[in-house]
Amino acid sequence: MSIKPAGEEREVKLLGGATVDGAPIAYLIVLAAVVTGLALIPLSVVLGSGKSFPMSQGIYPLVGWILGPIAGAIASAIGASLGIFIAPHTTTVPLATVLGAVMGSFAAGAMVAAGPRRNWWLPLSLLLFVIYGFYGGRAVLQNGVPVYAVVLGSFINWSALLLFLLPTRRLAASWIGHQDLRRVASGLFLGTWMAAGLSHLTAAAIVYFVVNWPEAVWLAMAPLAPLEHLARCVVGTVIGTGVIAGLRAIGLVKPAWAVY
Amino acid sequence: MLKFQTVERDSIFSHLDFRSKLLMMVVVSIVAFVWESPIALAALTFVVVAACLLAGVKSGYIKFIMKVMSPFYLLLLITHGFWNIEQVKSLTGKQVLTPLFAFPHSWWLIGGASMSLEGFLYGWSVIFKTLTLVMVIPLAIFTTDIDNMIVSMVRAKIPYKLTFIFSSTLRFFPLLFEEIQTIIEAQRLRGLAVEKMGPVQRVRIYAQIAVPLILGAMVRSQQLEVVLQAKAFTGSAERTYLHESLLHRSDYVVIALCILLLLLVAILYFWFDVGKYAWILFR
Amino acid sequence: MGSFSVSIEPLVSLDKVSYLYPRSKKLALCDISLEIHKGEFLGLIGPTGAGKTTLCLTLNGIVPQFYGGRFFGRVTVAGLDTVDHPISTLARHVGVVFQDPETQLIATSVENEIAFALENLCVPREEIKERIPRVLAAVRLEGTEHKHPHELSGGQKQRLAIAAALAMQPDLMVLDEPTSQLDPVGAEEVFATVRELNREVGMTIVMASHAAEEMAEYADRIVLLYDGRIIAAGTPDEIYAQIDLLYEHYLRPPQVAETFYMIGKRGAPVNKPPVRMREGAMLLDTLYQQCTIAAPKNLSMPVFHRGEPLLSVQDLKHTYPDGTQALQGVSLDIHEGEYVLIIGQNGAGKSTLVKHFLNLLRPTAGTVKIGGVEVGNFSVSELARRIGYVAQNPDNQIFSTTVGNEVSFALRNLGYSAKEVEERTVESLEAMGLLDVRDAHPLSLPKGDRARVVIAAILAMKPEVIIFDEPTTGQDFRGARFILDISRKLHQMGKTVLVITHHLYLMPEYAERVIVMGKGTILLDAPIREAYHQVELLRSTFLSPPQAVLLAQQLNHRERQDWKLLTPREVADCFVCHSNGKGGMV
Repeated sequence: MSIKPAGEEREVKLLGGATVDGAPIAYLIVLAAVVTGLALIPLSVVLGSGKSFPMSQGIYPLVGWILGPIAGAIASAIGASLGIFIAPHTTTVPLATVLGAVMGSFAAGAMVAAGPRRNWWLPLSLLLFVIYGFYGGRAVLQNGVPVYAVVLGSFINWSALLLFLLPTRRLAASWIGHQDLRRVASGLFLGTWMAAGLSHLTAAAIVYFVVNWPEAVWLAMAPLAPLEHLARCVVGTVIGTGVIAGLRAIGLVKPAWAVY
Repeated sequence: MLKFQTVERDSIFSHLDFRSKLLMMVVVSIVAFVWESPIALAALTFVVVAACLLAGVKSGYIKFIMKVMSPFYLLLLITHGFWNIEQVKSLTGKQVLTPLFAFPHSWWLIGGASMSLEGFLYGWSVIFKTLTLVMVIPLAIFTTDIDNMIVSMVRAKIPYKLTFIFSSTLRFFPLLFEEIQTIIEAQRLRGLAVEKMGPVQRVRIYAQIAVPLILGAMVRSQQLEVVLQAKAFTGSAERTYLHESLLHRSDYVVIALCILLLLLVAILYFWFDVGKYAWILFR
Repeated sequence: MGSFSVSIEPLVSLDKVSYLYPRSKKLALCDISLEIHKGEFLGLIGPTGAGKTTLCLTLNGIVPQFYGGRFFGRVTVAGLDTVDHPISTLARHVGVVFQDPETQLIATSVENEIAFALENLCVPREEIKERIPRVLAAVRLEGTEHKHPHELSGGQKQRLAIAAALAMQPDLMVLDEPTSQLDPVGAEEVFATVRELNREVGMTIVMASHAAEEMAEYADRIVLLYDGRIIAAGTPDEIYAQIDLLYEHYLRPPQVAETFYMIGKRGAPVNKPPVRMREGAMLLDTLYQQCTIAAPKNLSMPVFHRGEPLLSVQDLKHTYPDGTQALQGVSLDIHEGEYVLIIGQNGAGKSTLVKHFLNLLRPTAGTVKIGGVEVGNFSVSELARRIGYVAQNPDNQIFSTTVGNEVSFALRNLGYSAKEVEERTVESLEAMGLLDVRDAHPLSLPKGDRARVVIAAILAMKPEVIIFDEPTTGQDFRGARFILDISRKLHQMGKTVLVITHHLYLMPEYAERVIVMGKGTILLDAPIREAYHQVELLRSTFLSPPQAVLLAQQLNHRERQDWKLLTPREVADCFVCHSNGKGGMV
C-alpha cells in the first residue's frame, strides 16, 4: 500500500460466508451441479462400448480433493441423487450409485499425509475391508463362485484397497499438492485408481447384493473392469490436472481441507 | 430433461407429503431388497408400475426405462439362466436343476451349456427387483412439488444447509448442462475430429469438456456467495418458509400402512418363508 | 429532475473510505467521501477495475465483512454503520442487483426467489405471501410466480432480481451494471423499471453502468470513479459535457454530447454540449442560424463484391425439436473479404443462422454452401478449419494449462508435423501479441487477453472466415474497442469477418454491411450507411440507432438531403462556423 488512506482504520470482523466443514457452501452447490450434469453424460457413447457408466464417476475423487472428505462426500451425494431424480434410468440400484459417489469423494479427501485427519484412512480401511468381505464373501460362500473368479473379477477393487493401505496413499496426496503439473497428473491417476476403485467397490457390493452375478460374469469382468477403470482414471487425471492448474492460476479461496 | 419431470395428473400421490413418499420409497426398496421370490417381486413391480401409471407417469416413460434397461435384463437372464447353478441349488434345496434347453456339445465355448428353469427364474426375480428400485423414484419424485420437497426435508430434520445445497443445485444444474453443450460445440469448432480418434484419445478430449465447466462454475460460485450475503443468507436454520409442509390424515394413513407392511413382510419372510426364492414355486 | 429533493440528513454517507482487499497491495477504494440523499438516482461510471463494484458492496457491508482486508473511514446507511452491523441486518436496508442474471437467482421458482431473502430475515409466511404479488406487479412480472428462472428472458431475470430486492422493502437499491448482459429490449425493460421505482415510489437508486445515453437520461447525479478515487461528481449535464475528462478515463460520452463537442471544436457557439437527445435536437435547430452546412466529404463506401459468394444461404428454414421456428426462409450471400455486422434481439435467429455455417445445425429446409459446396458435405472439424468461431465467453473455449498449448491444442489433433505446429503456434501468438505469456496459464491473464488467446488458437488453423459472437457484451468501452480492433486487423489481413453485437454505436468504424434479423427472417441487408438510416425499421425491432444517426437525420430533414452520416465526427464535419474565436467550447 503506497498511499496512506485519510480515514481512520477500522477493526474488521471477518464474517465470511456459510461453510460446510470449511468449504464455502457455494462451492458445494456448483460442484454438486457439475456432478449432476456429468451424471447424464454416459462415457459409453464416447467409448462406443455397450456398458454404460457416466462421466461423473471419474470426478467423485476430484470433488473430494477440492472440498475435503466431508464436504466432498456431501456434494457428490447430492449431485448423484439429483442425477437419479432427474433421470432415473441412469441407475440400476439407486442406493449403490449414491453411496458409491459418497465413498469416491470421502476416500479421496481422506488421503492426506499430515494434519489432524492423517489417520482417517485407518477406520475407513477397516470399513472397506468389511465391504470387500461382504462383496467377495457373499460371492464365494453363498453363491459358490470360485475364489479365483472373484479375485480376477474384483482386481480394480482389491488393488485400490491395497494401494490405499500402503504409503501410496500418502504419495498420491503429496503429488496432487505438488507444484509440477506432471507430478499432479501422476498423483491424480494413482489417486483416482484408488478412490474410484473404492467407490466402485462400495457400489458393486450393493449391486451384487441385488443381482448375485454368477461365475461367468465375474470372469467376464476380469478383463473389462480394468479397461473401464482405466477410462475413469484417464477422465479423473485429465479433468483433475486441468482443474487444479486452473484453480491455482485463478487463485480462488481454498477450502480448509483441500488436498490440491 | 433440465428439471424434475412432473406428472400432470392429480392423484393421491401428488397430495401426499414428501415425507410420506420418502418413507414409502424406503419401505418398498427394503422389501425389494429382501424378497427373492420371482412371484412376490413380480407382484411388487406390478403394484409399483401400476401406481406410477395411476399417478400420471407417462406409459411412454416406463417403456423408455424398459428399453434403456433391456440389454441389462437380457444379460441377467442369460447369465443367471446358464451359469447360476450353485446359488439356486442352495436356494431351492435341489440337487439337480430343471433344464430348459442346452447347446450341443460340439459348439465352441458355449457347447454343453444348459439353461435351467431355476436360474432363468432367478434372472427374472433380479429384473423385477431392479425395476422396482428404479420405478419407485419417478413415483415419489415426479409427483412431488419441489417446494414441498425442500420444506419437507427441513421438517424431517435434515440440516437446512443440506436442503439449501440440494435446492440450489437443482437451480444451477440446467445452467451447467447448457454450458456443457456450448463447450462441446466450442471444442468441435476447434477442428477436433472426434469421430476419427482412438478410444483413449477420445476419452481425453471428452474429459477436457469438464475443465472449463468446473473452473467456470467455481468462478461463478464466488459471485454466488456474494449474492447469498446480499440476500441475508447465513446458513442458519432459523428462518421462515413460504411453503408449508403439513402431514394430513392421508399421510398418517400411508405412514402407518408402510410401517405395518414392513412388519408384515418381515414376519412372513422370516417365519413363513413368504417371499423367499422357493416360495410357492419350489417346495 | 425526478422526485429528488435535498433532505438535511443523507440516507447514505461515506466518509474518507478506503479499502484494501486481502492479499492485495493496491487500494481498491481510496479516500471516498460521498453523500446520497433519499430519493436520489446516483449513477456510478468508470472503466472496468475502477472500483464501482467494490463501492456498491461497501453499501451493504459485504465489503469488508465478507471479504476481510483493511477498511478505513466510515460508511453509514440509514443510520447504521456498515462495519458495526452484520450484513444480514444491513440487507434489510440495502437491496442489491448484480450484473449476471444467472448467478443472482438462486431459487427454483419466481416466488421462491422473492421469498428467499425474506425467509432468511424470518419474515412471517403470511407477510411474505402478501409481498410477492406486490413486488411482481412493481416489475410487471405478474403471473410468473411458478416459473423456473430458466424459463425467463434476460430482462425478466433482472427484473425478478429487482423484485426480490424490493421485497425486503429497502431504503436503498444498488444496481451493479444490471443491463450489461442483456439485449437492447431487456436493457430497456430494466431501465424503465428502475426509473419507475425512482420517480414513482421515490426509491433511492445507486446504479453503476456503461450505458452513457441512459445514464444521462435517468440519473440525478453522476460520480466518475477511476483507480478507486472519485475523479468528478455532478449532474449528468456537468459530467457528460466534459468530453476530454471522459476520454482521459476511457469512458464513452453520450453520442449527442460528443457530436456537439466536436461541432464546438469547429467553432460553433456551443457553451456546453447537451447530454440528452431532446436538448441536442433543440440546440441543432439554433445552430443553423449561426453556421453553414457543408456537404460531407469522402464518406467511405463499402467495396462492391462480385463473383462467387464464399458463403451462400438459400431459403434456409430451421425448426427446433420443440417446434420453435428459428429461421423462416433466409437467403443471403457473403463474399470473400467482407466485414458483416449481424444485429437483432435475442431470439431473432442470429446464432441459429451462424450455426448453420458451421454445420452445428442442419437446415430443416433450404441450402447453405461454402465456396459453392453444401456445408453438409463437410464435418464440423473440416469446417472449423475454414470458419473460426469466437464465442461470447472465452473461458468456455479454454481447455489447456498454458497459452502455448491452448493455441496448438487443435493443431496437434489435426495431424500437422511437429515443425508446422510450432511454426503456426508462434505465428499466431505473435499476431495476437501473446508470445511472452506463452507459458502462462490462460486463466491467469485478464479477460481481454483470454479472448486474444482464443482468437490466436483459431487463427492458427488459418480460417478464411472469422465469426465473433457478441464480443462486446459485458465489456467496457476500452475492452469492446480492443476486440473490435482485432477484428479490423483480421479483416485487413484479408479475412472475411462476421460480428454479432447489440452495440450499434461501436460498429460504424468497423463494419461494411449490416444484416438486421427479426423473428427468424432477414429484415434488412444493406451497406451500413443505408442500414443505420432505416430508423423506423430498426426501431420496429427495438434497436435504437446511434444518436449521431438521429442528429444526422434531423440535419438531412432541414437540408433536404440524404447524407448517410454515422458518427459524431461525420455530423460535426458538416458544420462550418464563423467563430471569431468567441464561440467554441467553454
